[in-house]
Amino acid sequence: MIQILAQEVVEESSGIDLLLPDTSELIAGFIAFSIIFVFVWKWVIPAADKALTARQEAITGQLTQAETAKQEAESLLDDYKKQLAQAKSEANTIVEDARQAADVLRSNLVGQAEEDAVSIRGKARADAGAEMDRAAAQIKDEVATLSLELAQMVVAGSVDESVQRTLVDRYIDDLGNLPS
Amino acid sequence: MDVLILASECDPATEIICAPENVIELFEFNEALFSIGPLDFTRTVVLTFLAMFVVLALFYFGFRRVRVVPSKFGVAMESVVSFVRDDLAKGTIGPEGSRYAPYLLSIFMFILVANLFALTPGINFPLTSRMAIPLMLSIFTWLIFVIVGFTKNGLHYLFDIVWPKSVPLALRWLVGLIELVSVFVLRPLTLAVRLFANLVAGHLMLTLLLGSGWIFFAAVGDIGLRSVIGLPWFAFGLLIFVFEFVVAVLQAYIFTLLSAVYIQTSVHPEH
Amino acid sequence: MEEIKGAIALIGYGLAAIGPGIGIGIVVGNAIQAMARQPEAAGMARTTMFLGIAFTEALALIGFVLFFIA
Repeated sequence: MIQILAQEVVEESSGIDLLLPDTSELIAGFIAFSIIFVFVWKWVIPAADKALTARQEAITGQLTQAETAKQEAESLLDDYKKQLAQAKSEANTIVEDARQAADVLRSNLVGQAEEDAVSIRGKARADAGAEMDRAAAQIKDEVATLSLELAQMVVAGSVDESVQRTLVDRYIDDLGNLPS
Repeated sequence: MDVLILASECDPATEIICAPENVIELFEFNEALFSIGPLDFTRTVVLTFLAMFVVLALFYFGFRRVRVVPSKFGVAMESVVSFVRDDLAKGTIGPEGSRYAPYLLSIFMFILVANLFALTPGINFPLTSRMAIPLMLSIFTWLIFVIVGFTKNGLHYLFDIVWPKSVPLALRWLVGLIELVSVFVLRPLTLAVRLFANLVAGHLMLTLLLGSGWIFFAAVGDIGLRSVIGLPWFAFGLLIFVFEFVVAVLQAYIFTLLSAVYIQTSVHPEH
Repeated sequence: MEEIKGAIALIGYGLAAIGPGIGIGIVVGNAIQAMARQPEAAGMARTTMFLGIAFTEALALIGFVLFFIA
């Protein structure tokens, strides 16, 4: 069938026929193109614009979201910093308090120790004084006795014992009155 | 394939390339499949409406949903739209070019799809190799740039073409005459014929080369070793196939670009 | 001399294609030179190149049309 039609075409057509538009094709092309044009004009371009603006909006939305997130993070960071500073100052005060307490304690201790030392020294001095007094008395006694014995031996024949004794005592008292 | 055999009736035993008896039988499909009123639905007419549906479907599925991160297809369609609108319309015509973006986008996509029908398996027929489609589109462009020229500049539009002030007085009438013919006759005619001729040539080359290859291969039993001749034809045909893809895209681009340039000369006639 | 067969329109078209062929070559060559010299103006050069090709090609296309008419 195609063969026959083609032969008919060959018979009736010459080169110029290829250049002249076919009426049906012209009408069909016109209709098809008009539909495409109206579709593009009324739907595609607005849709493309809408897609573009929607994308822009979405991107700006994301940007603002990121901005708020950043701000949140910054405020959080500030909070942390504040807390850290607070903790630091707290630690400082604690350390300061401790130092003051330690100072107070130390000064207390030192004072007490000084007092103790003073009292101990005083006591020791008193003890030493007492001991010295006692030793002096004892020495005085012993010296008296010894000197008595010595004097007795020396002056056995000349003077009786009681006179000698008074003499020696007086001598020793004189000794004792000397500044020690 | 009936059509192909018909197109290149040749004897593989003697010929080395099979040429059709008449080029026209490659392009004319005049048997009406059915008719509505005055409109005969021939194969070409059916393909025209198919191209229309393809274009509509491409746009519809490209912009069906508005998404922040579109699919790959959506990205492709958006880049086509932004290419035509920003590069062609605004880049050529200027800021007011966005007014003409719908028209330029329509012709670009329609011509692109119609051209690529030449390479689509099962169709293998470029609609734009029928004079009707390029002529119709170039008449649209012609109407637009003439109407825009007259509405923007009044009668000065015509006077500036016929009586160009920048040309020496002695030559002015001649240049004016040439310009008059060039603007009002040659512009639409060459716009249409350029597209038409490119696609006709491409279709012819593809048909001859791939058809010859196919015929020599299919007739292996009859002609023996001579069927090897089909191999270079077929390889060359595949090469041309790739080349035709470039031509199809480039011709759609050139038609749209020239439409934009012609509109631009009407919007700003002094340039 | 033997009779020459075939369409004389073919020769006509071949002749018509010479001029535009050279012309398009010049246009494209100069456009490429312009683009190479000023890559920032490549877009303008490309547009102008296509426009120039369109004007030059018009002659070849008229020849093509005449080939079919003749």
